[in-house]
Amino acid sequence: MSILKLSEPSLVAQPGPTIRITGLTKVFGRRGQETTALSEVSISVKEQEFLCIVGRSGCGKSTMLNIIADLETPTGGSVDVGGRKVGMMFQDANLFPWLTVEGNIDLALKLSGVAAELRKDRIQELLETVQLAHVATKRPHELSGGMRQRVALARTLAQDCEILLMDEPFAALDAITRDAMHEQTERIWGERALTVVFVTHNVREAARLADRVVVMKPNPGRVGSESLITIPRPRTMEDPRVAEAAALLHDMLHTQEMPDD
Amino acid sequence: MTDELVKPRVSAPLTERGARVEVGAGARLWRRVWPPLMAVVIVLALWQVVVTVGWRPIYVLPAPAAVGGALSEMLVDPKFWSALGTTLARAFIGFGISVLIGSIIGLAVSRSRILRSAIGSLITGLQTMPSIAWFPFAILLFGLTEQAITFVIVLGAAPSIANGVVSGIDDVSPQLQRVAHVLGARGMRMYRYVMIPAALPSYLAGLKQGWAFAWRSLMAGELLVIIAARPSLGANLQFNREFANAPGLLAIMIVILVIGVMVDSVFTRIANGVRTRRGMGVVRL
Ligand SMILES: Nc1ncnc2c1ncn2[C@@H]1O[C@H](COP(=O)(O)OP(=O)(O)OP(=O)(O)O)[C@@H](O)[C@H]1O
Ligand SMILES: [Mg+2]
Repeated sequence: MSILKLSEPSLVAQPGPTIRITGLTKVFGRRGQETTALSEVSISVKEQEFLCIVGRSGCGKSTMLNIIADLETPTGGSVDVGGRKVGMMFQDANLFPWLTVEGNIDLALKLSGVAAELRKDRIQELLETVQLAHVATKRPHELSGGMRQRVALARTLAQDCEILLMDEPFAALDAITRDAMHEQTERIWGERALTVVFVTHNVREAARLADRVVVMKPNPGRVGSESLITIPRPRTMEDPRVAEAAALLHDMLHTQEMPDD
Repeated sequence: MTDELVKPRVSAPLTERGARVEVGAGARLWRRVWPPLMAVVIVLALWQVVVTVGWRPIYVLPAPAAVGGALSEMLVDPKFWSALGTTLARAFIGFGISVLIGSIIGLAVSRSRILRSAIGSLITGLQTMPSIAWFPFAILLFGLTEQAITFVIVLGAAPSIANGVVSGIDDVSPQLQRVAHVLGARGMRMYRYVMIPAALPSYLAGLKQGWAFAWRSLMAGELLVIIAARPSLGANLQFNREFANAPGLLAIMIVILVIGVMVDSVFTRIANGVRTRRGMGVVRL
């Protein structure tokens, strides 16, 4: 059995996808100096699917997540999440600097309507998930970049959502912490039956986590290829099959970096 | 195979070194206190020099020692304390009302596009208006009353405070707003949990500036609006001038300066505390 299967682009939506992106186009800038960040992107994400998006810098990955999260309006096309709650973890931690680590998570819980008496336990639980219980009372500026990113992950997980968008969440972490975060993300994805869209530069990370990988092409940003990762879970970064799938993804990414006419 | 690519090398552990220099509380206080103290000493010395060379007659420009004497006499006089009480009460009421009005107007302007285009630039315009220019009109409106003074204080201080709110809210990082939006903060909750806390440093800067304007307006007001039954610091300045009591006049001026500086330093300390807690302190390179 092959570990990586090229799949047909999901132009024809399957019955009841969780996220349906159709002909999505986004143009930034004023007339005369426009940047086409996304051009006719169509992807549909199944319920409880773990979708990874890889693609070189500037091919519109963050823009696409922003549009799914309703933070940016598309120039053309549409995104349909069927009224589901969307959570998002951004490329930068963006913690609230006036709140402590606990305070940041507490606010996220408060905003998703968790009662005050339940919040204390949930904060503790979330901090343990990201292995940061010991910095609960510290302020964001007192943490390392990787710690901040993990607090941001805890804060993202604090919200009660069905769709989770993650924009290069683990790029700043050391290998050991990152492996732990992969396990936690996978566990939470399973436990809460989330649909995850995960952006990364790291093809190995994509092979480790994804059910399906979308490779995007730059200038303008569009879908290059889609592949199913059929390696059974649990997986690890060191798994030779993960390495092999990563190598294939790497090749796909590189053949697409050729300037196309 | 790994052994060839990655070869572990054992190195001797580094010994701990470097004794930390302990700084006592006294030394730290001294380090904070000596620069302003030095400045005061220099000013007093220059003053004494000017007096000694006889630039002006001694009954117009008294020596620091004479003013010191007048000051210490004044400080044990109950009439001074009641005048000070009146002035401080006015400052407190005027500034309090300014904070209330300035904050409300600031929030309203920051929220509404129509209000912003209607009165946004008016607020900035009011800030540049010298408050003393309001007094003739205020006296016409209210007569020689407390209201006339309060009216001018509020006109002087509220625009700065409103501006602090508006610029604070305008400068909230769009990325933080996005995070909050995704977390489910909308409308009032966005304001309460994100915009207002994020705008706090700028608001505090507005309060500090508002206080400076309020204190100036109050002093101008007490010079112009002298209410017979109510002695105040400003009225006492005027009386001392009329009786040509130069040491007494300068003593009151010192009190006015000290109060202004003290209140300002309270605001500065609060603002610095807030900034430090957010990691916004000055970086020394
Ligand atoms: N607000 C904006 N205004 C103008 N151009 C923008 C804006 N945001 C993004 N772009 C442009 O859109 C393109 C895609 O940006 P985007 O941030 O989505 O890339 P990305 O795939 O996330 O890159 P990276 O991997 O480096 O994060 C880039 O060319 C960028 O310059
Ligand atoms: Mg990006």
